[in-house]
Formats: sequence, C-alpha cells, structure tokens
Amino acid sequence: MFELAQPILNGILLGGLYALIAIGMSMMFGIVKLVNLAHGDMMILSSYLAMVFSTWLGINPFIVLVLTMPAMFVVGYVFQGALINRVLGKAMEPPLLVAFGVSIILQNFLLMVFTPDARSIITSLSTQSIVVTEYLSISVLYLVNFFTGLLVIVLLYFFFQKTYLGRGIRAASDDEVAARLMGINTRRTYGVAMGIAMMTAAVAGLLVGMTFTFYPHTGPQYLIIAFGVVVIGGLGSIKGTFVGGFILASAQLLGAHYLGPGIQLLSGYVVLLIVLAIRPQGIFGSV
Amino acid sequence: MRKVSLAVMGVLLVALATVPVWGSDYLVLFFMLFCFYLGLAQMWNLLAGYSGLISLGQQAFIGLGGYTMAVMTNYYGINIWLSVILGGVFSAGMALFMSLFIFRMKGVYFAIGTWIFAEAILIWFSNWEYVKYGMGLFVKPANPPSMNMIFYAAFIAGVGAVALVYTLLRSRLGLGLMAMRDDEAVAETMGVEVFRSKLTCFVLAAFTTGLIAGVLYVFQVFIQPYKAFAIDWTVILVFITIIGGIGTIEGPIVGTMIYVLLSQLLAEYMSVSLFILGAIAIVVILVAPKGIMGTLNEKLGFEILSPRRQ
Repeated sequence: MFELAQPILNGILLGGLYALIAIGMSMMFGIVKLVNLAHGDMMILSSYLAMVFSTWLGINPFIVLVLTMPAMFVVGYVFQGALINRVLGKAMEPPLLVAFGVSIILQNFLLMVFTPDARSIITSLSTQSIVVTEYLSISVLYLVNFFTGLLVIVLLYFFFQKTYLGRGIRAASDDEVAARLMGINTRRTYGVAMGIAMMTAAVAGLLVGMTFTFYPHTGPQYLIIAFGVVVIGGLGSIKGTFVGGFILASAQLLGAHYLGPGIQLLSGYVVLLIVLAIRPQGIFGSV
Repeated sequence: MRKVSLAVMGVLLVALATVPVWGSDYLVLFFMLFCFYLGLAQMWNLLAGYSGLISLGQQAFIGLGGYTMAVMTNYYGINIWLSVILGGVFSAGMALFMSLFIFRMKGVYFAIGTWIFAEAILIWFSNWEYVKYGMGLFVKPANPPSMNMIFYAAFIAGVGAVALVYTLLRSRLGLGLMAMRDDEAVAETMGVEVFRSKLTCFVLAAFTTGLIAGVLYVFQVFIQPYKAFAIDWTVILVFITIIGGIGTIEGPIVGTMIYVLLSQLLAEYMSVSLFILGAIAIVVILVAPKGIMGTLNEKLGFEILSPRRQ
C-alpha cells in the first residue's frame, strides 16, 4: 500500500502543473469558443525562449519570466488579432484549422532554429528532494510546479472576478453585441485575453522546460494533455481544471507504475477516451 | 464546355495511366507519390468537406493499413496484394470500434478524439513485441512486385478514391450529405439519417485510407510506428485539401500537385516545405476560404467533376 503513496503524491503535484498547462486553453475556449491547437507549441516556444534568455544572460530561470511573459503576451495578442479574429464567428472549422496551421509553422520554425536535439532549462532545483520516509520523497521541483500552478490559477480567477479588464473580457464573451454597445472593443479584448492566456503558457513553458526535456515537436503532446485536463474536468470550471489535472496525471503515473514507463502516456489517453465516451461534458461540466 | 472539360480529364487520365510507358523512372516515382497523396487527401476531403467530420486521426488508418500489410505478408505468407486489401478491412474495423467512442463527440471534440486515438495506437504499437516495438518491420514478400506494378496499384487506389467520392456524392447518400452540410437539423427532419451517413463515410474513408497506405508501404518496404502513425500525415492531407479547395472534388487534385511539386523541390528541407505549406494554408483560409478550385468555381463557374445533377 505504501508504495502507491509515491505515484499518487506525484500525481497530485504533476496534476497542478497539468492544470497550469491547460488553463490558458480552457480560458480561450470559454471566451471565444476556440480550441487553440497551437497552445502546446506556444508553450514549447516559451520554453525555448526561457532557455535562450537564461543561458545568454546567465540569470535564474524564474527571473527570465520578466522577459518571456511580456514576449508571449505580444505573441498571443498578434496571433489573435491578426489571424484568429479574422475567422471568428463564421464556422467552427476555420479558427481550428488556422490554429493547426500555426502549430505546424511553429514546430518547423523551432526545428529550423534549434535543431531536433533534446533541450532542457538547467536549474539546481531539479536534483533536490525532501525525503519523508523510506517510501516517500517529494521532488522540490514538483512542489514548486504545483504551487506556481495554484498561484497562477488563483490570480487568474481574481483577475476575471475583480478587475475592470477581466470583467470586460467576460462581458465580451457573454454577449458580443451588448458588450460593444457598452463601449468595449471586443476584438481588442479577445486579443488581450489571448495575450494573458499566452502569459500562463509562458509560466507553464518555463516549468515544463525545467522539469522535462523538450524538442521542437513536443508541443502536441502537451496540447493533448491540456485538452485531456479540460475535458475530464469540464470546460470553464476552475475546480474541474485541478481535478482534471490530478486524474490525468495519476492515470499516467499509476499506469507507468503497474505496466512500465512505456505505457505512461497510453494509460492517460485511455482514461481520457473513457471519460469522453461516458461523460462528454466532463466530470464538473454541465450540458 | 462540359464536353471539353471531360475530354481534358480523359486525356489527363490516359497520360497518367501511361507514365511508365513514356516517362522516366523519376516521373513514375513522382506520379506514384501523386496518386498516394491524392487518394489519401480525397478521403480527408470526403470527411471534412462533405460529412462535417474533421478527423485529425487519419494517421491511425495509414499506420494500421501499412502494418496489417507487413504482418500478413511477413508472418502469414499471404499474397501481398491480398494483404493490402486486408489492411483496408482492418482499418475499417478499427474505424467501427473507434466510432463507439468518438461518435459521441461533436466538432472540435471529434477532431481531438480521433487524434488521441491515433496517438494511443502509436504508443501501443511502439510497445508491442509482436510488431517488434519501435524498431519497425521490413516488408519481405515472397515475390517482390516490380516498380511498375506498384505504380499501377497506386494509380488504381488514387484514381479509384476520386471515383469513389464522385459516385458516392451522386448517390442517395451524397444527396443526404450535402443536405446535412447545408443544415443538419433540417436534413434530419427531412429524413436524412445523419448518424448512419456520417458513420458510413468514416468507415469507407478508413477502408480506402488503409488500402492506399498498404500500397504505400509496399513501395516504402520499411514501416516504423513513429513514422507510420505520425500526425504529419494528417497535417499534409489537411493542407492539400485546404489549399486546393475543401468540399470540391478537384481541390485535392490541384492541392496534391502543389504539395508533391513543393516536397520534391524542397526534398532535403522537409521542415521548410511544411513551414511554407502551413503559411499558404493560413493565407488561403483568410483570403479565399474555398481554396483554389472552390474560388475558381465561384468566380468563373469552372467545374470539372461536379457532383451536381444537370
């Protein structure tokens, strides 16, 4: 029984990181009904940015966020303003396919610039761990990931509830015409929302880059994780995002524990497909 | 006008069929690739352009078709062309099984559901001893077919896929599909069996995709899960169809020509050609959402293979 404590604890901690990866995508789905198929690649782009800045400037990877978050905000604002806004509101396919195109462009751009080699962001945290008992030790990096994820999501929640801009975004999403009549530039608002979503991706990209190795083609893997979290938890539910992250991460780690590390991703996908087949609206979602 | 365009089509078809007679080895290779991608793209077009099913998991059927062919030939000594057909049958079976899960999903969920399914199969195959894990299989038929035979198999598969979509659209099922595309709820009220029509298309597309992939891997000789089940396949099919014109039969033909030319010109820079294709596809969606052939059709009334009844 004790041996299960480790994968479950890691599942909870990793779940926090997964929730952070997913929150930007979930947010944009909620606001403009867009499944941003480039979300994973945008996140990996910010991993590369963080790697480049921290190596060049030789500074602590967390301070690099001061640079990567604004950079990703601009990327998101331009992506939404120049591309997605132009195809919104017609049918479901065009925005989906535009995002898909951007995803492929980004992957191949990263491949051309950074070669297919595995990269990671070097940090002293990755080797440290807190030993609790013989069976249980907590990786400091996983702990940092979990609390950073929690912090970002709580901040995002207050942003949408309390600030003028956050309320404006919600208003634009609820009723675009009415929001316009009230003097909100809805298209610009969507751009800002995507910028904020990309800022969460910048944080996620840094943490993922410190925790795992990444390649130019790693993006889709995290896109599927993000999608899985959102689907299991239910769209637009903050509590659901966390529970979804926990279920998906635990399914992966328990699968790896029992069946070998090769099965890790597969067991996550299987759980996801089962949830989709039984309860397509997610555990916390309403129909 | 119609007679002229039909005559042009006929000439092109005869020219394509006789490439091994008049063309160099390189041209045979070029047009063989053209036939493969044409057939695969036409199937994606049938799903996305006519049935409202955006599948991002066509690579599942490409890998399954290829692997079935390799396993049947290598392990059971079955005739290679029979193995190819079995590849189609297995893919169709897998499509039926997948439909239990993913046909409960709509739109975007369907798209990502198919993708996740394909990823799951990829991991399954790369952990499966029976197919030698990620190391892959060399196809070793008792009598290796000649290049010309593979070309004609590709020709039949590619042109057959176009003919299949054409006949399908002119059938009762096709009428229903087009009614659904215009307004699903109304079509259903008028008695179109939406679920069954979509499922039929999905399974047919899986069968044809698996079949074409079987021939493709007869040509490639070596199959490996990370390549066979890669999302890159579907990426290419999506770009071909969007650039050529989604929801038109001629679209994938033109799109495939552009893709094969570009990929040959930039053969050593796969990433550059995908980058360019992605950029072209985005521009097409923004500027001319109906693609090259759809726009020509709209502006000039230019149409060769019209599914419409005259």
